[in-house]
Amino acid sequence: MSSALAHTKTKSQNQILLGFGLMLGMVLLVSLSMGAYRIPLPQVLAILSDQVGMHVGAFEVQQANVLLQIRMPRVLMGVLVGGGLGIAGAALQGMFRNPLVEPGLIGVSSGSALFAVIFMVFVPISPILAWVRPIGLPIFAFAGGLIAVLAVYRLSKSQGKTDAATLILAGVAINALAGALIGLVLFFADDSALRSFTFWSLGDLAGATWTKIPVSLILITFPSLMLLFSYRNLNALALGEQEAFHMGVNVQRVKLQFLIFSALIVGAGVSMVGMIGFVGLVVPHLIRILFGADHRLVLPGSFLLGALLLNFADLIARVIVIPTEMPIGVITALIGAPFFIWLIFNLNKPKN
Amino acid sequence: MLTASRVHFCIRQRPIVDEVSLELNPGEILAVLGPNGAGKSTFFKILSGEIRCKHGAIGYNGHDIHTLKSRELAEVRAVMPQHTQVNFPFTVQEVVELGLISTKAKNPTRLIAEVLEATNTSHLKDQVFNTLSGGEKQRVQLARVLVQIWEAKPFPRYLLLDEPTSSLDIAQQHAVLKILEALKSRNIGILVILHELNLAAQYADKIALLKDGLLAKSGTVKEVLDEEILAQVFDHPIQLIANPATGGVFVSSAAQSYSSTHTIKQA
Repeated sequence: MSSALAHTKTKSQNQILLGFGLMLGMVLLVSLSMGAYRIPLPQVLAILSDQVGMHVGAFEVQQANVLLQIRMPRVLMGVLVGGGLGIAGAALQGMFRNPLVEPGLIGVSSGSALFAVIFMVFVPISPILAWVRPIGLPIFAFAGGLIAVLAVYRLSKSQGKTDAATLILAGVAINALAGALIGLVLFFADDSALRSFTFWSLGDLAGATWTKIPVSLILITFPSLMLLFSYRNLNALALGEQEAFHMGVNVQRVKLQFLIFSALIVGAGVSMVGMIGFVGLVVPHLIRILFGADHRLVLPGSFLLGALLLNFADLIARVIVIPTEMPIGVITALIGAPFFIWLIFNLNKPKN
Repeated sequence: MLTASRVHFCIRQRPIVDEVSLELNPGEILAVLGPNGAGKSTFFKILSGEIRCKHGAIGYNGHDIHTLKSRELAEVRAVMPQHTQVNFPFTVQEVVELGLISTKAKNPTRLIAEVLEATNTSHLKDQVFNTLSGGEKQRVQLARVLVQIWEAKPFPRYLLLDEPTSSLDIAQQHAVLKILEALKSRNIGILVILHELNLAAQYADKIALLKDGLLAKSGTVKEVLDEEILAQVFDHPIQLIANPATGGVFVSSAAQSYSSTHTIKQA
């Protein structure tokens, strides 16, 4: 866009994103500093700049160890998973043309969870599959998420349109089925598999280690970038699939891409930190309410705000009951559920 | 030229569109008329490429529709469906901009300004689409559709509209048809499904009458507007009265008692 008007719009969008970026940066710094073991902010900055070869202050070795080995991977994982859930939620809402859609509601999360559980229970006892262990969990979770979302999508589609009521019903059905199957798989699980499942199902960033970061980085960053670059197609789909086709969008291919990328992101997130609800629902909404529906802003904005919210929730989870931790899923649901209720009330109100 | 040759579409052995052949030249308005259930909308979807016909062929400027990618198709034809819902809070400007997503327009800003002007929606451009009235929404959608083919190109383009006047008052109806009329000089051919026979009589160059999936009659307005043919197609007595203002005709539907039971049965 070359006009002054479009130019100012792009500019203000960039400013909004920059603002979110700065806020995220601040939350990350505070998050690195606070917790059961406090590292004062000056020391946090000193340790970080020491890493890039600048010496701006003194710090203790223990502080550096806690920060770099425990907090840093945790915070990074929060950015990746929170951002991923935000952008996947935005993409799914745009694609289904429905503001109520979120990865949890339409079965992606529970599909991922089911396959993750299958992996955790059966793979350790199967020597044939031993070689897939390091990257197997995210890939299994991705496959489960994809199968679930494809099933829901097929079920909710009639005469070329996705019906919102059927979509929610199909999601509920798939969620129930996945829940039952998870129970069935757990029936066959041994004690150690059960324990790892219990920790994982609460949704927890505490398990984040440097070894998990590279896999998540690839599995979340790549599809997120692909989604970011297809904001135009999402905008077109917001008018309807027919209309998008009329405007020259290859609708079938684009929809399949969105489903695969979203399932990849959510599957990777679920496999790393467990099921974290509501981020994918709340975040895109906040962005739309505040700044409009243009996906050029909604997608990156949802990533940044999702990363911000999840890290904020994790911060609360860590400091609220020192020295133990609250499961992060509890915090996000505590923020998310009231918002969801508010949303339903407001959607039903007539527009003035 | 946009050509449909012997287009056929069945649902469960029942022909919805049966061996329909039509031609649309650039610079021409072709009105498609017919009673409810005549197959107009299905024929429209086949023309726009949304559904594939079982037999027959659609050609845009000599290219078979199935050899064109959706992006290429979007360059030669724009489509305005009957209803378009926008579920998210897009502004009018953003909605209209969407029309350009697959065309590489040289000066998008000017194109957008021009179509907003042409559809008399410039003053709405910063408003949220969903807050507009029915008529305003319709005009904004028209602007979005127009911008897709507005730029001058070395080849003819086509605009397909499915009842663009359905939710408009009489002044707005004529405003929309006048916009379509002005497109003729832009090397654009227009196919429009209409309900109102008088609008067709006044603005169309050619008319195609569909009934039960069959092309009942097609030709120039003079050829098609015939009391007997219209009465047969619509199952209702129709009178044509000379219109001194335009030199054309008024179409009047005289409600006579003999056909009323018949009409209800058809409906």
